[in-house]
Amino acid sequence: MNYEFNWFYVQKSLPDLFDGLLVTLQLTLWANAIGLVFGFLVALGMMSKIKLITWPLTIYIEFFRCTPALIQLVWFFFCVPIIFNVWWSGYFMGILALGLNLAAFNAEAYRAAIQAIPHSHSDASVALGLNAFQRIIHVILPQALILALPVLITNGIGIFQQSALVALISVEDLMYQGRYISTQTFRPIETLTTVALIYFAVSFPVSQAVSYIERRTKRLLAN
Amino acid sequence: MAFVEINGLVKRYGALSIFEGFDLKMEATDRLVLIGPSGCGKSTLLRCMMGLEDIAGGQISLGGKEYIEGAEAGKMRIDAKIQKDVGMVFQHYTLFPHLSVLGNLCLAPTRSRGMKKAIARDKAMELLQRFGLADRADFYPSQLSGGQKQRVAIARALMLDPKLMLFDEVTSALDPELVNEVENTMQDLANAGMPMMIVTHDMHFARNIATKVVFQERGKVIEAAAPDELFGNPQQERTRDFLRNVLHING
Ligand SMILES: Nc1ncnc2c1ncn2[C@@H]1O[C@H](COP(=O)(O)OP(=O)(O)OP(=O)(O)O)[C@@H](O)[C@H]1O
Ligand SMILES: [Mg+2]
Repeated sequence: MNYEFNWFYVQKSLPDLFDGLLVTLQLTLWANAIGLVFGFLVALGMMSKIKLITWPLTIYIEFFRCTPALIQLVWFFFCVPIIFNVWWSGYFMGILALGLNLAAFNAEAYRAAIQAIPHSHSDASVALGLNAFQRIIHVILPQALILALPVLITNGIGIFQQSALVALISVEDLMYQGRYISTQTFRPIETLTTVALIYFAVSFPVSQAVSYIERRTKRLLAN
Repeated sequence: MAFVEINGLVKRYGALSIFEGFDLKMEATDRLVLIGPSGCGKSTLLRCMMGLEDIAGGQISLGGKEYIEGAEAGKMRIDAKIQKDVGMVFQHYTLFPHLSVLGNLCLAPTRSRGMKKAIARDKAMELLQRFGLADRADFYPSQLSGGQKQRVAIARALMLDPKLMLFDEVTSALDPELVNEVENTMQDLANAGMPMMIVTHDMHFARNIATKVVFQERGKVIEAAAPDELFGNPQQERTRDFLRNVLHING
């Protein structure tokens, strides 16, 4: 290998990489906001006895779980504008596609969690005079969140990594900046290694925290 | 009119019939203990009273008020308003694990009754004090013993000022050494004049706390009498059989 390392350019382009990281983090946070809220609503809908509700939701979940995130993203970016005659930025489409993808996975996590809540809690809620809405908000949602938290975080950090795909639809995220700088400076090894390390530096502590959180939540919910 | 009147209650689970016209009366000064073989419908009766089950017919009144709504056969249910007047404690632990003891007590009053947080808190602390649980106020259910959990569950129900308390085998899931503290709490509550309907397999406790014991079998009341009479001098052959069996098992 006769490649001469030169970290000078990386140092010079660090501010641009951090601008990219900021965009990546924004995408991740918005997608997680959608994934956490919409995912819960989907999970609730899936518990319904009405087929007209569960059917479309099943199709939605399976579609997003059984196709590559890349095609989902590209499909949103290129097809939604044509079908619905709207034009939204790649940034917005990226959030939407990643958010819906995450919600599909989170819905499954929520559903498993909701099913693990003892049925007697719902009897107790009725006996305490809580109505259906109050029961969902104050009894089911918090327990489902706590039970599903390890999976939700794992899914959420997965979306942080998947978000690198938005570079393909010209969103100036960390990946995009990395590729741009590496071709501009002809320093692919230094730049792309740095980019990978930045992704790692964010993901690793979070994934480490998951097992700790798992232990804590198990203890809290032990009966 | 009696404090609680159940007339002609009909309850079925699909093809399985539990009650075909069940009658029961209870006075406001009564503590009624329901005994009977497993599967005879004791829990079902309490669940119907609490409005947790659809019923197929009958009338239930509490404090002179009728609580049945929906005339459509098979789709009747106790009016949800009865939940304002009745409290229930279950066999299984039903404290919400994500809330502290105080949080469990204050949830329903603040959310469904619109009670101010500070007032609910004071009331909760007063109850916990009375139950000797004040130092557990900030504990989570996973940090409590089974007996403490059940006593907190009783306190949680009392937060809503029920006119009648239902207890469905609240000590059955407990280790033997924890049964006493829960039964003592119930006894204190009884001494304070709370009307109760109690399902228990503990005949000793039944005899102590009851003013009236009801022996039911296959969806019918076989015999109802004061505890000393029912345990000391049962009139029905089936009551005698049942008591002989349980007392033999209990030792
Ligand atoms: N949700 C349900 N669906 C169908 N059958 C039920 C249901 N709940 C109870 N049953 C049946 O109804 C009958 C009465 O049950 P119930 O729980 O009221 O009895 P129990 O007197 O409380 O018995 P135990 O002493 O064992 O608690 C039983 O045969 C039971 O299997
Ligand atoms: Mg029972």
